[in-house]
Amino acid sequence: MKLSPLFFSVAVLVAPALRAATTITRGPYLQTATPTSMVVRWRTDLTEPSVVSYGLSAAELTSTAKASGVASEHIVQLSALKPATRYFYTVGAEPRKPAARPAGEDAPVPLGVSSFTTPPQPGTSLPTRVWVLGDAGTKTDTQRAVRDAYYKFTGTRPTDLWLLLGDNAYPDGTDYDYQKAIFEIYPETLRTAPVWPAVGNHDAKSANSITQSGVYFDLFTLPRRGQAGGAASGTEAYYAFDYANSHFICLDSHDSDRSAEGAMMQWLKADLASTRREWIIAFFHHPTYTKGTHDSDKDADSEGRMNDMRAIFLPVLEAGGVDLVLTGHSHVYERSFLLDGHYGKSPSFNAATNVKQKGDGRAGGGGVYLKPLSRTPHAGQVSVVTGSAGHAGGSTVPLGHPAMVYAFNEPGSAVVDIDGLRLELVFLNDKGEKRDWFSMVKE
Amino acid sequence: MRRLVLTLAFVAAGSLSAHPDIEEAVSRLNDAIAATPGRAALYLERGQLYAQHDDTVSAEANFLRAAELSPQLPGLAKARGALALVTGEFAEARNFLDAALKENPPDAEALVLRGRTLASLKFRAAALADFNTALERLVQPSPEIYLARAALLSDPAEAIHSLDEGLERIGAVPSLLLRALALEESSGRIDAAARRIDQISALTERSEGWLKRKGDLLSRAGHKAEARTAYTSALDALAALPTWLRDSPENLALATELKRLISNPP
Repeated sequence: MKLSPLFFSVAVLVAPALRAATTITRGPYLQTATPTSMVVRWRTDLTEPSVVSYGLSAAELTSTAKASGVASEHIVQLSALKPATRYFYTVGAEPRKPAARPAGEDAPVPLGVSSFTTPPQPGTSLPTRVWVLGDAGTKTDTQRAVRDAYYKFTGTRPTDLWLLLGDNAYPDGTDYDYQKAIFEIYPETLRTAPVWPAVGNHDAKSANSITQSGVYFDLFTLPRRGQAGGAASGTEAYYAFDYANSHFICLDSHDSDRSAEGAMMQWLKADLASTRREWIIAFFHHPTYTKGTHDSDKDADSEGRMNDMRAIFLPVLEAGGVDLVLTGHSHVYERSFLLDGHYGKSPSFNAATNVKQKGDGRAGGGGVYLKPLSRTPHAGQVSVVTGSAGHAGGSTVPLGHPAMVYAFNEPGSAVVDIDGLRLELVFLNDKGEKRDWFSMVKE
Repeated sequence: MRRLVLTLAFVAAGSLSAHPDIEEAVSRLNDAIAATPGRAALYLERGQLYAQHDDTVSAEANFLRAAELSPQLPGLAKARGALALVTGEFAEARNFLDAALKENPPDAEALVLRGRTLASLKFRAAALADFNTALERLVQPSPEIYLARAALLSDPAEAIHSLDEGLERIGAVPSLLLRALALEESSGRIDAAARRIDQISALTERSEGWLKRKGDLLSRAGHKAEARTAYTSALDALAALPTWLRDSPENLALATELKRLISNPP
């Protein structure tokens, strides 16, 4: 067939327009942040080249990073970045129209330029804000209210990183569930701050940790080779990363082997022994202590996973100097004293031996929690159950675990601020009220 | 009798959990089942829900009902096999997982489940075959599968080779390196064991503990001079730590012990 010059002219004019019709349906979102690299992910409705344009000012996106081939699920790693530096970026090779967003969502339209700030060099002391969401993904007005309360609280203070404590997308952790419960609820935070998730039982309905397959593992790019700090786990089901002077450890309390001889435990011990960071924060889904919508005293509850995390993993974490343990699963907020050595059921809790420091951890109250700066085994940790970012527990929640200073059956999220040798945690409810707070200082 | 128990559990299903998520999902499925009681897939889904939340009796009862309605329901055999594995009914698990793999031969998850089942039944060769096939099929196999496979190999050299395959594929992860290290030492390959420790040590920001371990290994093997060198390196590594970490109670004790071992080796 012979084609006329007119055909080619039309084709040349139409081609960019066709490409421009590609729509971003998810993201961009940020993964596996290190001081010198960032993974940018997004999804388009049609396949196209995976390109990120970036630079040090919004007007000068002079660098590009690409992945090979064409895709609709885009994963591009930006490398050779400067630590603690703000980068501006856009995704895609051509200008595009924004995806339609439900009214009232937090996102400015994704047309245009976003930015992120790379983590500082490990060990650097830099104020760090961490947003912590447990059991968030209900797709409800409650989830949105919790989100908006945090946005109002943080204002112009950027979120440096955020943690999802599992059950991130109800009910089944499917791709659709994640789309509605995460990607359409937090688009602005997703494209400006790296998100670090843990797997929960609802996520595990559509994913398998042993085979590292399924939606959760398809959606997230996590550091299994130790590239973000800490020991290499060899899996995205559990991993570690550094941010400034803090070391974060994510455990898989649902699906991976939780035995004392298992791979996760061997990795955890090696990781704890390898870190030089001043703060150690562990996060996972199943709480060690709770009397919320789950009961950590009941062996059958969650097939003993809470028992395993308390009796097998908590002793190792405490011996390794962990400062803060963040969990979800129970749709309440519960916060402990500065504790050590309580690995049994609640009747065995002994305040005289298990509480390292009495009081509520507040400067104006019982005094901030003090820990030695030198890495000291069993110097105390605070356990926080914050599993109500999507819904609270209903009317039959007992609360009242003796290890807890405060417990609230209210929707909300936690905010952790770390500044040098001071760590502060606030629990914000869905109305924006600070329902709990405490400080921990190393000296 | 067992069938009676399961039937009773089936009747009671929906009232067994206090967790609102489960109640909500079960309630949704209860309504759907009430509207279309002949749909086997709904019982499978409800059974999986119970299995996810560890109510094995209700799960089994629902799977049984699904099987009565549709014996060949896709996914049912795998779900029943996984449940039987959890409850320790290995022979039953094997039958279900055989059926699951007949239904969907490339299913790596079913292969891993059957590998575990066969290992529990002491069918070592068959378990190995399943783990091998699963490892070939998985894009990102987890360390657990390599450890499970190595545990089936009675010859340490074969087990080490199996772990090395994992190390090559997924990177130098401590869980595999430590298992290889233990095997190297137990089979008298001290130099190889020491190299494993060097490998772990090189990956970490803090090598003092690993170098001490290397010294202990060499000392146990009677390599006193090399042991002293390792202990000295451990002491140097300790000295290089920031003060706040070097002066931790554990590290002060370690320094004292290392000095003793250097001056007076065991």
